[in-house]
Amino acid sequence: MTLQRTNLQKVKRFLGNNTVTILFLVICAFGIPLSGYSANYLVSEVVVRIARNSFLIVSLLIPILAGMGLNFGMTLGAMAGQIGLVFISDWGIVGIPGIVLAMIISTPISVALGIWCGKILNMAKGREMVTSYIIGFFMNGIYQLVVLYGMGAIIPIRSNSLVLPRGYGIRNTVNLIGIRKSLDNLLMIRLFGIPIPLFTLVVIALLCIFILWFKKTKLGQDMRAVGQDMEVARAAGIKVEHTRIVSIVISTVFAGYGMIIYLQNIGTLNTYNSHMQIGMFSVAALLVGGATVSQAKIRNVFLGVILFHIMFIVSPMAGKNLIGQAQLGEYFRVFVSYGVITVSLVLYEIRKKHDRGIAGQILAQEQGVEA
Amino acid sequence: MKITFNRIFLMRLIAIVVVLLFAMVLFFIGKQHTVLLDNKTITVNGEEIKALKMVEVQVNKLEALEFVPRDRDKVEVTRQKHTITISYTDENWEEISITRKFTLPLMEEMVIISIPTLAANPDAPQSVWLEKYELPTYAVQAAPEDEVVVTDDLAGLISL
Repeated sequence: MTLQRTNLQKVKRFLGNNTVTILFLVICAFGIPLSGYSANYLVSEVVVRIARNSFLIVSLLIPILAGMGLNFGMTLGAMAGQIGLVFISDWGIVGIPGIVLAMIISTPISVALGIWCGKILNMAKGREMVTSYIIGFFMNGIYQLVVLYGMGAIIPIRSNSLVLPRGYGIRNTVNLIGIRKSLDNLLMIRLFGIPIPLFTLVVIALLCIFILWFKKTKLGQDMRAVGQDMEVARAAGIKVEHTRIVSIVISTVFAGYGMIIYLQNIGTLNTYNSHMQIGMFSVAALLVGGATVSQAKIRNVFLGVILFHIMFIVSPMAGKNLIGQAQLGEYFRVFVSYGVITVSLVLYEIRKKHDRGIAGQILAQEQGVEA
Repeated sequence: MKITFNRIFLMRLIAIVVVLLFAMVLFFIGKQHTVLLDNKTITVNGEEIKALKMVEVQVNKLEALEFVPRDRDKVEVTRQKHTITISYTDENWEEISITRKFTLPLMEEMVIISIPTLAANPDAPQSVWLEKYELPTYAVQAAPEDEVVVTDDLAGLISL
């Protein structure tokens, strides 16, 4: 039995469910004309950013399926990807072999970090998001220790262009010229003058197909069951803790690959900061696409990338045209990223309480009918 | 953790070995080498070999490069085995084209090929006309002052 809703209630519910997306549509609707960018330029920029960011954002879907919320611990995978890139830059491996080798190097590191992160998250059930966020900070310290003091001193790094002048530690920025746009340029086509990195998009499509297939497998169904109710899943014989660890491991490994795809497009590795920014922006983009802490679909990824990155592209120029300062746009997009996450989390909690209230009303109605 | 030597363990082990072998193959085919092509007069075993007046050099299927005496250029290649083709006109106005295969040492970043030596000794082993190259010390960039490493975006707030 369900409660009958009026049309007004349905509209209110739709607006409530899509507040962040609608907010972004409004921002983009105002920002695009203010920026003065041509449609061609905007579309080509959005296509580049879809190819650059989608893989990373798709990596967030599996932990959501397993009920672990938004995996801020994806930064661990990003760090593993970056370590792979540092090694291939040192060895001078270029092009597609370089990218694939970086992925192979990142995989065992991602798996180890994913298992470790998953075990900690199992100890902090119900508080996975904040725990994974703090794990990211903690692991950043270990990463800095390894990269800043270990590499060049204990871990051999031969290239002078990578090592700091003092003889150990990796420089602030690493030039990835050897692999820059290798994946994107492998199959680049032009449609109405807009360059489309077809191969990268095919790789992303394959990942999406994998996710859809994975949801239908035994493990995927187990994850869904664990995400809905851990106790019921345990009673049904599912190894809850193991399933949750696997979901985090898969997410971390994909995040590592995603970071490599992201950085091959950028062409420069910001050794000590890239991974920290990427976790926040990926989560924000997914939420902008209409995902919640408990539910995310592939369409949310692409809608999120498009809306979030249109805002990223237009806001500096819109700020400049509006008040003469591009800096305003820069501030705007940073606080919007954090704001989106906050608003989404608050709305999620409000909706959860509201749904609980409706469930109570349905129960009361049912009991009333029976009486 | 107890390790059980069953079929699954064996399959996992094989998968890891295959991935490692694949990584090694990637290392071999993806390693980049810089090949310097040099057309300068050179003395080999006390014998002076003059630079060629005009020579066209092509490495693999890359764009052909033209050299006059004292010219030096570079090509960047991956993998170890390559082909070099040099074409020039000799003193008797005869068109001569020499094609040689050469193998680069895996861990060598930069090698130099002396084109006049190759033209003079087309059948000689590659060690005669190809050698390891290290940048002269004056060409190596002077070490800049120690780079400030920014590991925390919010570090500036501490001073507030």
